[in-house]
Amino acid sequence: MTARYPATSQVLDRRSALALCGSAVVSLALSPGRASAQEGFKFGLTPVFLSNDLELLARLRAYLTEAIGEPVELVSRRTYQEITALLVAGQLHAAWICGYPYVQFKSELDLVATPSWHGKPLYQSYLIAAADRPTERWENLKGDIHAFSDPDSNSGFLVTRALLAENGLKPEGFFARTFYTYGHRNVIRAVASGLAQSGSVDGYVWDVMREMEPDLVTQTRIVRRSEWLGFPPVAAPKALAGDPRIARLKDALTEMDRREEGRKVLALLRLDGFVATEPALFDSIAAKVDAVRRFG
Amino acid sequence: MSTFRRLRAIPVSYRVPILVALLMVAISGVISERVLDRLSRTQESFIDGLAGSYLDGLTAAVLPAVLRGDVWEVFDALDRSQKSYQALSPVEAVVTGADGKVLAATDPTRIPSFSELPDAYASRYGARTVTFDREADTGFAYRDLVYQGQKVGAIHTAFDASHIFAERREILATLLVTNGVLAAIFSLGGFLLVRRMIAPMRVLEDHMRAAANGVAEPISSREFPSRGGEVASLFNGYNALVHAERERANLAMQLAEEEKLASLGRLASGMAHEINNPLGGLFNAIDTLKTHGRTPGVRDTSISLIERGLNGIREVVEAALATYRPERSARPLSADDLEDVRVLMKPELRRRRQRLDWQVDWPAGLAATIPGGPVRQAVLNLLLNASAATPEAGEIGLKVERTAHQLKISVSDEGPGMPRDSIAMLSDDDPGPAVRAGRGLGLWMVRRMVDACGGKAIVETGPSGGSVVTLILPIPEEARNERSHAA
Repeated sequence: MTARYPATSQVLDRRSALALCGSAVVSLALSPGRASAQEGFKFGLTPVFLSNDLELLARLRAYLTEAIGEPVELVSRRTYQEITALLVAGQLHAAWICGYPYVQFKSELDLVATPSWHGKPLYQSYLIAAADRPTERWENLKGDIHAFSDPDSNSGFLVTRALLAENGLKPEGFFARTFYTYGHRNVIRAVASGLAQSGSVDGYVWDVMREMEPDLVTQTRIVRRSEWLGFPPVAAPKALAGDPRIARLKDALTEMDRREEGRKVLALLRLDGFVATEPALFDSIAAKVDAVRRFG
Repeated sequence: MSTFRRLRAIPVSYRVPILVALLMVAISGVISERVLDRLSRTQESFIDGLAGSYLDGLTAAVLPAVLRGDVWEVFDALDRSQKSYQALSPVEAVVTGADGKVLAATDPTRIPSFSELPDAYASRYGARTVTFDREADTGFAYRDLVYQGQKVGAIHTAFDASHIFAERREILATLLVTNGVLAAIFSLGGFLLVRRMIAPMRVLEDHMRAAANGVAEPISSREFPSRGGEVASLFNGYNALVHAERERANLAMQLAEEEKLASLGRLASGMAHEINNPLGGLFNAIDTLKTHGRTPGVRDTSISLIERGLNGIREVVEAALATYRPERSARPLSADDLEDVRVLMKPELRRRRQRLDWQVDWPAGLAATIPGGPVRQAVLNLLLNASAATPEAGEIGLKVERTAHQLKISVSDEGPGMPRDSIAMLSDDDPGPAVRAGRGLGLWMVRRMVDACGGKAIVETGPSGGSVVTLILPIPEEARNERSHAA
């Protein structure tokens, strides 16, 4: 990339001029998120939760910068899809994504590390409803306005979608209406405010937020917990497999619980640490994708 | 009309302050109304502006989400906007989509998403940006969401307007209290000022009232205002009037006294004559007694002659005393008074060789409470006038009829008839002009007596020419009652 424009070129013929223009256009189009050594290490964050917690972002950035040895830019977007697309396109060096996009782009992504929560790299998806609603069975949520987190979220969409598919149902038939809030916290807010009667939410987010914002979360209750599934992992494009920075990132993450600054980040995230995991951890999610695909 | 009269009956010193107070109340009412009107307009345009910017912000925030039909984004924008527009106190916002159905509301439990907007929402807006519902203390505002000329939805909002109305009430209360206090102060000030202004008029009024009751006193110098001006000149004018009236009264009294003395002079000369007549006989009798006193027959005759002569003198003297001794004039009129008059007239009649037709009907046992002195003087004056008007050797008459209700006294003469001025002085309603002509002070005293008794005087032409003056004097009620008790 750096050698594309020879500084010694004396004559610009028509072809090279065109090529220059074309590459300039490509460069312009891709420049905002284009991963390059000069621009530092780009680390994508899905709005899993607390994406607006500036203290967390600052500490994480400082930690990663020190561990990787070059400036780290934290990139966040509104939807999972945007982050996933940037990651797959190679515009991010790594990203903390959801298990569902990982399964979808398994062939193009490598697992870097997976967070460990309560000692395991696992979490659940919750179906939640208003706290004063006496519902114990998920079947009773039929006819609700339902809040999903994100169409590319495992816990915030896929799990519920698969549950319905396994029972021969589709969201649009089972629920009166559905909408996406693009954030697990927003799902909790939607259900708490009554905008939605029920929602699909990340169990880790719900549990952590119950500590941090009890007034909001106690307005909701869990109707159904899913089985334990692979925790949203940190992944990197396969194309960067040989990049030493990815290796340094992996070390930084897996050693986080052993470093002072890392422990502060983990404390804010309420996580034990990061562990290296096998892709098989996400097979159960892949099975859900299959189930949904089979049902149509 | 009666209210108006009642209002006019209130003294000026109260009426003017009341009017000032009423004026103040009216002015304060108008001012309050204007202030409140202005305030409410200012408030409304302020709220309109605030609501306009609120709606602008909300529109910018929700429009992209409305275009996408993104329920959560709309809700999130509404939820955040509720917290960031504290000055407006928004209580509710509802966003509808192109199909008119609710996309999201700040309170989804009340207005759920995807439901139809309640009809009440469509009908609650007026012409202005913000429409107020005073009963609910709420303001409403509405904005269409337009994108590329197409209506893609609408925002319905409600604000808590209670603080606006509370501010208005507070200002109204402040205005009422301030204006009330001002009105009270102005009323009191007006009251005191007017009282101070009309105090001299009250002094004048009091003096005039006293004057009407007979005691005209000049206004003392300490009642004069410290500074001169109109009031002082008014007071001076009044005092000059009082002094002139007093001088006139003094003059009249003096004239009356002189008239009395004049008639006394006439009578005195008559009396001297009357006394002188028997004196010759008395001296003769004394000479006879000196010479023939030892002769019993002569002595007795002479002594008897002297006794009769002295008796005649005593009668004349007593009558004169009765007439001119003031303490006796207050007694009620009696038949004796009339007899005194007869005695007093005798010398004059004799001098002019006139006869007196004396017809006095005074039933015994009838008391009269008419004051004796003035009546006797009046009768005497009339008889003297009659005598003067009648030629020598003529006849004058006195006729007195005393009934239970009135005393009627008629004096007749054989003169050429009374002058018109004299008649006017006796019988006109207003004897003033005749009095001012300076004629007949005696007649004026008669007239005064008649007026004092509440009676009247009539002057007629007698059957044989001449004049008949008739005085009719009513006898007061209590006197009649006393009489009946006495009987």
